[in-house]
Amino acid sequence: MTALRVSGLRKEYGGTPALADLSLEVKEGSFTVLLGPPKCGKSVLFRLLVGLEVPDAGTIELAGKDITGEPPRYRRIGYVPQSFALYPHLSVRENIAYPMRLAKAAAADIDAQVARAVDMLSIGHLLDKTPDQLSGGEKQRTALARGLLNQADFFVLDDPLVGLDYKLRERLVDDLKRLRAELNATFLYATSDSIEALRLASELAVLDDGGRLLQQTDPLAAYHQPESARAMELVGFPRANLLPGAYADGKLRAGPLSFALAGEGKATVGFRPEDVKMTAAGDGIKAKVLLVEDLGSEMVVHLEAEGSSLLATALKEEGVFQPELNADVTVAVAAEDVRVFAAGAGS
Amino acid sequence: MAEIVIEKVTKRFEKFTAVDAVDIKFRSGEVSCLLGSSGCGKTTLMRMIAGLETPTAGRILIDGRDVTSLPTKHRNIGMVFQYPVMYQTLSVRENILEPLRRQKLDKAERERRVDQMLELLDMRDLANSYIDGLDAGQSQKVAVGREVARQTAVILLDEPTTNVELNAKIQLIRAFKEITRELKQTIIYVTHDQTEAMTLADHIALMQDGNIVQYDEPHELYSHPTTTFGGWFLGNPGMNFLPAERAGDGLAAPLLAQPLPVPADLPAEGELRIGVRPEQIKLAPAAEAGTVTGKLLERSINIAGRYLLKVQLGTSGVTVKMPGRYDGAPGDDVHLAVKPADVAVFADGKRVG
Repeated sequence: MTALRVSGLRKEYGGTPALADLSLEVKEGSFTVLLGPPKCGKSVLFRLLVGLEVPDAGTIELAGKDITGEPPRYRRIGYVPQSFALYPHLSVRENIAYPMRLAKAAAADIDAQVARAVDMLSIGHLLDKTPDQLSGGEKQRTALARGLLNQADFFVLDDPLVGLDYKLRERLVDDLKRLRAELNATFLYATSDSIEALRLASELAVLDDGGRLLQQTDPLAAYHQPESARAMELVGFPRANLLPGAYADGKLRAGPLSFALAGEGKATVGFRPEDVKMTAAGDGIKAKVLLVEDLGSEMVVHLEAEGSSLLATALKEEGVFQPELNADVTVAVAAEDVRVFAAGAGS
Repeated sequence: MAEIVIEKVTKRFEKFTAVDAVDIKFRSGEVSCLLGSSGCGKTTLMRMIAGLETPTAGRILIDGRDVTSLPTKHRNIGMVFQYPVMYQTLSVRENILEPLRRQKLDKAERERRVDQMLELLDMRDLANSYIDGLDAGQSQKVAVGREVARQTAVILLDEPTTNVELNAKIQLIRAFKEITRELKQTIIYVTHDQTEAMTLADHIALMQDGNIVQYDEPHELYSHPTTTFGGWFLGNPGMNFLPAERAGDGLAAPLLAQPLPVPADLPAEGELRIGVRPEQIKLAPAAEAGTVTGKLLERSINIAGRYLLKVQLGTSGVTVKMPGRYDGAPGDDVHLAVKPADVAVFADGKRVG
């Protein structure tokens, strides 16, 4: 079942398309994540969906019904915006209840809904506090509770974890997945954080600037089978290596690398950092270690090889070669770990 | 070079205690990172060392000298902030040189220090460029270099990479690493970013609620956290914690095929938990001695393409970090094994074994 279908949606500001003919389907009960760079039009799309703005062209269907021209209050879409937007003079309880009070819901109904929302987000102990007494994470949970209180079964969440401490985000990622399941709802969630997207998504839609949909699939396939160089670059952390390449004499050469692949003309060669194998300096392609970032259980190694910048990762484990700052190492990338894209396409 | 001694230092703002009776010696000639979430007190502690805040109680000594009530300018410290104040109309070289003119240095020494710094910053080509033509990362590199060249007793840095985009940040971190390897100064570096702290620090002071919970080398802090907070805070994601209980002579917990020997210093009461890092849980091909069996709930891709598995183990859930890809499907039985040496035991949040 399709929860949301967007067809040919277009929105321009001063002649510049913020969203250029986006078509997208969101499956009912999915946790669909829109992953894209900051200007990919995610927030514009969300404002169009909830009716805060009117599209220049295209249609929006929710549960099979065209809602393109409907006023916001008739759209059954819950909305969690990017900023907290809490009323400073109201308690947590009243902040959460506010939309229902506006809608003149019955008091008993409001109490029951608020109780349910705060229970799901474990903020029952904060009900009588005001926003200035809350930590960043508590504020964001309050905003989430207000957004989720809406009696909808379709929710849009506009990068709600951006700007929060990494550790808090890690915890809220688990909360959000659980919440979607408990509400038995459909979530459409926007982020520019690749790891957050990969951890949350049951469906991943990769967007580029101007709302160009590059690929929509399950997150594992998005990682392993990118359809364009740009999609490969946007999905995964650290970002994939992309080098300009050219075929000659039955080989594909890209920067310092060369693969036994036949073809003609130029190509873009993509490979993931974990597929760059490093060994002690010896025969092969030499690279200099510019920086080793320590992530605890793995390291990110910034390399320079014959004028090309390369990113590699390695596990911090016994028996695995551990490169050191400023050392020379040998690097290798296997042909089966390489993805070849048409030159210039996508990026 | 100078040791910084913090003696029972407290800072209260009205009712709020930002720094709570902290006792620590920051090692001389090393980079110490103050690491913690926003609100943990790390910036307040740094500002007290700088003389920008006065402690409510306690003493601060730099190189054996009590500086608690000395103004900033008499403490012999350099500082780099998120938004550095630079001479916009002077060149890179002059920005580094200018503060040295106010020190009693002969011309040759000044020039030597500037040249050395341009070399370490990898900015010789930009020596004559004006600051207002540089990007935020390059500008911040100059700010770091300028303070280091002064060779003050202590250099304090407050989240210097916050407003720098990723590529420039890598350049800045590399330059910082080169400088500190070469010039062994006493540096306090404030950050909320665990990767930055792990990458740059000789020692990390992990902070929580106004206290330093552990001061250790990065790898030691990661491998042997003394609190559950440390185990959780470091790592992507952090440690798994599982309830444990005494069982005869041993300590039993989900995930443990055999009870652990009870640590000698285990207190008689308190909440017992074991902690295991996700990458230290290994998958066995079949149920065998030393394994426990759980159900795979979901898998996702984490940093460096490593698969994260959520596994249900009785009433507990654990996260397993695989070396790479994993093709098992949700619903499958999975067989987990951990080495006893990789299991930490915590009583009421404190490490006991």
